[in-house]
Amino acid sequence: MAKIKAFSPEFAAALKDEINKSSTYKQAGKGWKWTVGLVVEAEADKNFPVAQGVFMDLFDGEARAIKMVSDSEAGKADFVITAPYSRWKQVMQRELDPTKGMMQGKLKLKGDLPTIVRYTRASQEMTECTTRIPVEFPDEA
Amino acid sequence: MHDSDPGRVPGRSLDPEPMAARKEPQTLVEYTEGDDASAFAMMLGGLIEANVAGRPEKRADFDSLKARVGIQVDDIDESVTLDFRAGKLKVSNGLKRDRKITIRTDADTVMMLSNLAIGPFGMPVYFDTVGRGIVAKLLTGGLRIDGMLSNIPTLNQVTRVFSVR
Repeated sequence: MAKIKAFSPEFAAALKDEINKSSTYKQAGKGWKWTVGLVVEAEADKNFPVAQGVFMDLFDGEARAIKMVSDSEAGKADFVITAPYSRWKQVMQRELDPTKGMMQGKLKLKGDLPTIVRYTRASQEMTECTTRIPVEFPDEA
Repeated sequence: MHDSDPGRVPGRSLDPEPMAARKEPQTLVEYTEGDDASAFAMMLGGLIEANVAGRPEKRADFDSLKARVGIQVDDIDESVTLDFRAGKLKVSNGLKRDRKITIRTDADTVMMLSNLAIGPFGMPVYFDTVGRGIVAKLLTGGLRIDGMLSNIPTLNQVTRVFSVR
């Protein structure tokens, strides 16, 4: 299966498809009605020189739209999770659990905590969706 | 256009409380280490503060809760002490002495505890999926609560303040 470049528009489209294919997410995300921004901070030494953002319009168990945007645009979402590129790579390779990452400050969350805690299962499944995408990382290309 | 400003009205007190004594919005949660509070301490403090601020029933528990509670999360090697002081919470990095209750578990179970449903009479619900998961963790040693048996009412109060449900 051909690999998709990480944090490319194709990656965003593949993530949307994966989320919408997931019956677990459909159930766990019921009632969710907020946008989520993922800010991927630049790491020039990892061949990721410019910060990027992923803007996710998630609604009631469905991904309505997922697109690549600037980091500042992603920062305008209702919930924003920020981490350097290499941390996101760890998440996508199942080396870092995002919940633990947030507890340890490796991923920084902005947004209403009780809401995100209520949807822990949905966010775990969303992470699982990213791990199902065959990704080519910029520091491995 | 109607001017709603009453101006100086004879016989009406301008302000029963002098400006200097006017109360600022109170901070419910303080961090012993200030800006150096750990991410875990900030997360738990922020979670409890948001829970309490938005829910009067949780605020009532918070306002009467006096207990020092430790939480040790083994798989991420993080711990905090939550010092509930009847309407105030002081969060410290690490486990401080003289704790009434100490919860030792993993990160996933901490999230489960914060998702525990609260049923009639403010009792935690242990028969739904999350509740059964917590009971299973207790029975298998994945969740240990020091001081549980002698402090059940306090533990239930802490659970209500901590749960987002």
